[in-house]
Amino acid sequence: MLALESVTYRYAGATGPSLRDVNLTLADGEVLGIVGAAEAGKTTLCLVASGLAPRTVGGMMRGRLLLDGIETTPLAMHELAARIGIAFANPATQLSGVAGSVYEEVAFGPMNLGLPRLEIIDRTGAALDALRIGDLSERDPARLSGGQQQLVALAGLLAMRPGHLVLDEPTAQLDPAGTRLVADALGRLAADGVSILLAEQKTDLLAAICGRVVAIESGRLALDGEASAVLADPRLAEIGVAAPAAVRVRRLGEGAALPPAALERLRHALRAEASA
Amino acid sequence: MVLGGVVGPAVLVAVAVLAPAASAGVLRMLLRTSLLLTLPIAVSVLVINVFFFPDGRTVLLRIGPFAATAEGLAFAGEVLARILAISGAVTLFYLTTRPADLVIDLERRGVPARVAFVANASVQTVPALVDRAASITAAQRARGLDTEGSVWRRMRGVIPLVGPVLLGAIAEVEERTMALEARGFSRPGRRTLLWQPPDSRPQRLARWLLVTAVPLLIVARAVGGLAWLA
Amino acid sequence: MPALTLDSVVHVYARGGVRALDGVDLRIGAGERLALVGQNGSGKTTLVRHLNGLLRPTSGRVLLDGTDVASHPVAELARSIGLAFQDPDQQIFAGSVRAEVEFGPRNLGMRGMQLRAAVDEALEAVGLSGEARTNPYDLGASQRKLLALASVLAMRTPVLVLDEPTTGQDLRGVAIVRSVVVDAAHAAGRTVIAVSHDMDFVASTFDRVVVMRAGRVILDGPPASVFDERSWESLRSTYLEPPLAARLGARLGLGSTPTDDGLIRALKASA
Repeated sequence: MLALESVTYRYAGATGPSLRDVNLTLADGEVLGIVGAAEAGKTTLCLVASGLAPRTVGGMMRGRLLLDGIETTPLAMHELAARIGIAFANPATQLSGVAGSVYEEVAFGPMNLGLPRLEIIDRTGAALDALRIGDLSERDPARLSGGQQQLVALAGLLAMRPGHLVLDEPTAQLDPAGTRLVADALGRLAADGVSILLAEQKTDLLAAICGRVVAIESGRLALDGEASAVLADPRLAEIGVAAPAAVRVRRLGEGAALPPAALERLRHALRAEASA
Repeated sequence: MVLGGVVGPAVLVAVAVLAPAASAGVLRMLLRTSLLLTLPIAVSVLVINVFFFPDGRTVLLRIGPFAATAEGLAFAGEVLARILAISGAVTLFYLTTRPADLVIDLERRGVPARVAFVANASVQTVPALVDRAASITAAQRARGLDTEGSVWRRMRGVIPLVGPVLLGAIAEVEERTMALEARGFSRPGRRTLLWQPPDSRPQRLARWLLVTAVPLLIVARAVGGLAWLA
Repeated sequence: MPALTLDSVVHVYARGGVRALDGVDLRIGAGERLALVGQNGSGKTTLVRHLNGLLRPTSGRVLLDGTDVASHPVAELARSIGLAFQDPDQQIFAGSVRAEVEFGPRNLGMRGMQLRAAVDEALEAVGLSGEARTNPYDLGASQRKLLALASVLAMRTPVLVLDEPTTGQDLRGVAIVRSVVVDAAHAAGRTVIAVSHDMDFVASTFDRVVVMRAGRVILDGPPASVFDERSWESLRSTYLEPPLAARLGARLGLGSTPTDDGLIRALKASA
């Protein structure tokens, strides 16, 4: 279990905090979505949840990050790296730059951890399988598409066998094919019981795989609840988040004074599309 | 350096640099890159020595008050041959070495992982910066920046190009650092090296030969031999 | 006279020999609002870079108001075609938002009152009027993207090309981009071309959609026809999904309804 307890965080040199008194728990096997306007604090939340803030990023943090009940404050970044994996929006900057093949790239993390050779080979194979990119093993990571690179980044994280994954808008820079690739992979990981904290603008994606969603506004959690409830909450628009397409259409239909039969047909069609 | 004249270095370059380059398939790339890199130096070496060589006597041609001398040309030739030999060798190294292998090999020999990484990153930075500079130039040209006009205009146009290149490079460093940290890079102690860069007897032999050849050549030269290679 | 014409344009990249454009024919009328969609690698970015001369065709011609652009330098074509790049950080260099937005118009020779007006208008259109003195790097990533948009808007070119304007934008950002396309640009009679893969944005903001795959145009028409059920197979062949409204409309037998509003209207009409 990963928990933020009353976390207030300020970047070095910033005039005010980017996170204010945030309390958040990610249970084992849970998929939690984070939505918010640009600059609301999604990335900061991800950085704090992974330990990069304040360790690598600097800044000042009040409150605690707890991993399975244990305080993480005395732990160094490399100790957290094996327990919490974090991925970002830009696929290319996540490549190590010293891997001639996808296999080497995925093995990078375990190699850094100093694990025995056989263990590394084991984990790398398992991670490639989990992301279904075994056929990309010999390819040069620098020449893959953005979506493929994100899958390689995810595999690289999984090879470290973290208890939790934190993903900061992993599909933001991808084209529709890449987004679909990553979304499907995340869906499978979720089904496999991996804990995922997923920050995204694409609320349709969150609607498909998250059990719970929180909305962040100016560094504070404004909404926290079951995914379909939060994503249908009318306050999302004020917070600056676009509702999923299905919610938009339904709302438009309900507000258009349609005859009840027509509205029912619409609802039926929405349900059919959702399960398609 | 050890061999005088032009012929010696030329032969050396042909054997030690051009031949391997051809067999590795990078001859064209090598020639383009190392010639481009040494062009500015080459031009200045040539001009300075051809016209201002102190022992110059045999005049080849005159331009105003300046006289181009044969001795100057010969000297310039020697210097250039050496410069090309060095730049050719260095370029060949980078063109034929896989970054992964370089880093792993250095680590194997006891170099700390971070140092090996920096060595590698500095090599990889240049092509990345060149690509970035090209994208930025395109963006600014699309806003009317004149890159095809007079030299003066083009010089003024450098400022809108330098800023984004530098800032972008710095921002990228931040992102890359976080990504590396997130994969345990800063863990103290040695990493497990999964494989070994391929090495072979002929390669080991060649290395030993090169290492022992240098002191031998220096001694030979000091003693006055090898003049026939000039 | 179409504003822009692409005549059998082929582009093969020298490095790698990739055939990014495989014979593209396109006529774009003045004042049109056109969206160019397709996966990365479909040729859409390559295509837009031909419009202002950043790339030259390997074969074929690009015509601006009937004249071949081949002989005109990019700096000159920038008077007619403003191109906003996808990554704002590839162009931002000035110390203040105002200075940044001034760069383009200044290069085109605008000065004094005219310059000021162009910059103010552009800042207003993207909601950055209050940040004129701010250092661009003190703005967030999505505001920098809007800044890049303003920088090109201020050039007041007859043709405006936007490369992935809504990528990474939040609700407010998308709304601003939409209003820029519709109000600022279209109302002023400018031709707007946007490369995008946000199908909802495309369906509701543009009157013409051109779908590309492997360097060719595979669909070209108004949203209602491009997102019609009969085109889905083509769309899906390039991994694009029609908007939800279109799918619902098909399910309900209401014909082609690419936008939410269109769907509800059709539903009302059929009841």
